[in-house]
Amino acid sequence: MADLKKIGLYSVLSLSTFSLFSEYFLAISVLYITIVLVLIVYSVKNIMVQKALSNAIGVTLLMACYLIINDDILLSNEFSFYLSIVNDNLGYLTKFTVCFFSALVFFIISDSLQEQMLTSFEYLLILLLAVLGLMLLCSSNDLLTAYLAIELTSLSSYLLASFRNTSSYSVEAGVKYFITGAISSALFLLGSSLIYACSGSIFFSDFWDLFSYPGTYHFSWIDEKAHYVSVITEFHPRFATDKTFEDADPRLLAETLYYMVQEQTTDIPWYVAFVHDLLDKANMSDSYVPTVSLLSIDKDSFKLIEVGMVLILFSIFIKLSLAPFHLWSLDVYEGSPTTSTLFFAVMTKLSLFVFLIRFSYSALYSFNDERQFYFLSIAILSVFVGSFGGLKQRKLKTLLAYSSVSHMGYCLLALSGVTLFGIRILLFYLLVYMMSSISTWFTILLLRLKQSLSTSKYSKELGDIALLGKSNAALALGLSITMFSIAGLPPLIGFVSKIGVFLVLLKEKFYFICSLAILCSVVSTFYYIRIVKVLYFENLLVGKLYYPIKTNKTIILSAVIFFLLFLFVNPSFLFLILYNIVFDSLY
Amino acid sequence: MYSNLLFNIFSTFLLISALLVILASNPVFSLLFLVASFLFASFILLLLECELLALLFITIYVGAIAILFLFAVMLLEFKASNLRSNVIRYLPVGIVFGLVLTSFFFFEIIKFFPEAGFELNIYQNNYINWYDLIDSTTENEALGHVLYSYFVLQFLVAGLILLVVLFGIVYLTNKFNVVKPGAQVMFKQLSKNISLK
Repeated sequence: MADLKKIGLYSVLSLSTFSLFSEYFLAISVLYITIVLVLIVYSVKNIMVQKALSNAIGVTLLMACYLIINDDILLSNEFSFYLSIVNDNLGYLTKFTVCFFSALVFFIISDSLQEQMLTSFEYLLILLLAVLGLMLLCSSNDLLTAYLAIELTSLSSYLLASFRNTSSYSVEAGVKYFITGAISSALFLLGSSLIYACSGSIFFSDFWDLFSYPGTYHFSWIDEKAHYVSVITEFHPRFATDKTFEDADPRLLAETLYYMVQEQTTDIPWYVAFVHDLLDKANMSDSYVPTVSLLSIDKDSFKLIEVGMVLILFSIFIKLSLAPFHLWSLDVYEGSPTTSTLFFAVMTKLSLFVFLIRFSYSALYSFNDERQFYFLSIAILSVFVGSFGGLKQRKLKTLLAYSSVSHMGYCLLALSGVTLFGIRILLFYLLVYMMSSISTWFTILLLRLKQSLSTSKYSKELGDIALLGKSNAALALGLSITMFSIAGLPPLIGFVSKIGVFLVLLKEKFYFICSLAILCSVVSTFYYIRIVKVLYFENLLVGKLYYPIKTNKTIILSAVIFFLLFLFVNPSFLFLILYNIVFDSLY
Repeated sequence: MYSNLLFNIFSTFLLISALLVILASNPVFSLLFLVASFLFASFILLLLECELLALLFITIYVGAIAILFLFAVMLLEFKASNLRSNVIRYLPVGIVFGLVLTSFFFFEIIKFFPEAGFELNIYQNNYINWYDLIDSTTENEALGHVLYSYFVLQFLVAGLILLVVLFGIVYLTNKFNVVKPGAQVMFKQLSKNISLK
């Protein structure tokens, strides 16, 4: 029983042992902004506050970043709020990234809200609450806090997708997103209840203690004669002294070990397991070291926990828009207002992957053999669908939605290798993805056609950016650099992140999957390079007419493209930060 | 003694209300008896010392689901006479089908409740939980102890979720500045001064 002064309402009111200062600050700022803006907007007629408010919220998020940097308690590697919140380097860096990129998003959208007719202040407030949900998800340590944070972000996203209630496309996108998200939340809750039924607790640290004996990991191939016990004993022979098992086929190895050990033991139930050299953090080699040891859970519980885990994984896959759960994202990205789509594409992915990392590597690490199957099959299907689906698309937003599906497939491929190197590559890939996505969507947001029909549905098409190289050479250059980086061509940073994903797969000896992923990456290069072709080499006489662009926010675009272009020269400072995260956290 | 009596009373009324849901002629009467059956189920749960579930029944079943049915009945205007027209014609076949389909069900359920041989008087229950007379905690109180101490952060986040929904609902369902173009603003018209010259 924890001291009531350290947990509970006392700690929230007196701020003792309270480690969520940035979220607290953002929540109180939401309430304050609500009160102030309601008093302003509904008393003065026809006042439009969205530009000033968006810039102000951007500054607020930068202040939250400052709070995160200066908070000493964040790096204490302890739990707060009775094991619900973990303060480690992973949560710290991802919270900072989410806050910083959200600040950029708010600065970016401030000028374009008026032309999209989203001038009500509720839009920005709901967006800020969605960012708060993302931040809370980064540091959550139990299923309940994760569910509440996911729900906060998702509910805000449903409203953001349907915000333009005079356009039927927007309302349709909102309804589709709502129904899909509700199903995903239901699956999450069912999986959590099954895991709770087998374990009695919702905290990831308890799952680590209960379901994996340190040093032993479960292997899915079992013989019918093997029994399970629920008592952990000290029986731990290691067979790797004089033989090297590095290149051996795991199944052959398990069979050999089984018959070796069966002759020696008669009554003690045992099980062949494999140790990945993960816990030997000083030695970063990832070779298999087989160990015979006892399990800590029984067979029926194991299968039920696996069902629960799979349901939670499917819920997260739906939210991340991975194939075959990606169909909602195509229509939602197309129908929502462009600023909402910018938020969905850029911001929501990182926190969900942080939750997935904590769930797969800290909580249920011993289920790796089962989980690898789901990760690999869904990831390679996403890469395939994302690459081949975008080939025939002419609508810009749906094209970028397919591209986002394939990117999430690559991220999941990085996560499916059960090594720490995989986590580092995943976080690096997500960082590069967020930068290139911000650049792409900001460019799309800036380009507005000057057309006479303002009543018809205006969806951005490939033809809208035709011959931009002639009318705005700098913007076209920025967009083409971003497209080359997303496609993964050297010498841009997207190449480094894609190579990292393939390296992770090769380490695990998944040669077929790696070659499939590379081939699909080549196929997807088509629709990225087609954008560059349309920008410069379209066979038209004249291009389109655009509204003029204000230049005060394009400095953000210039900075992002600068990073995309020149991070290839020296990406090591990013690697150092990510190495630090993965080394220290994940008890 | 009283708990058994109350249990029997509430169970009887629950059965009667549930039966009257399908037998009532007016759909609004069916709804009323549905609400009554939810209420009696909630009372039985209170007798079983599940206070949270009882209150949740009232909040969710009566407060959300019955209101949903009420809106459906309101929007789709049922003609009460059509529902009760042909009962006598379908009654024999209905009784046969009902008995055939539900009797197997009841025969299986009855097997779950074997008779206790030593029971003296089923109308008088002599079980007293002595500890509960001295120091008892209701379920709500225990939940409150845990909810506001260990899970206060989750409680506040749930409040923020409700706030988001409030913002969205107020924006999406309200029309602001509803002056139709060309409509007459009464105040402006009446404040115009006309001079007849």
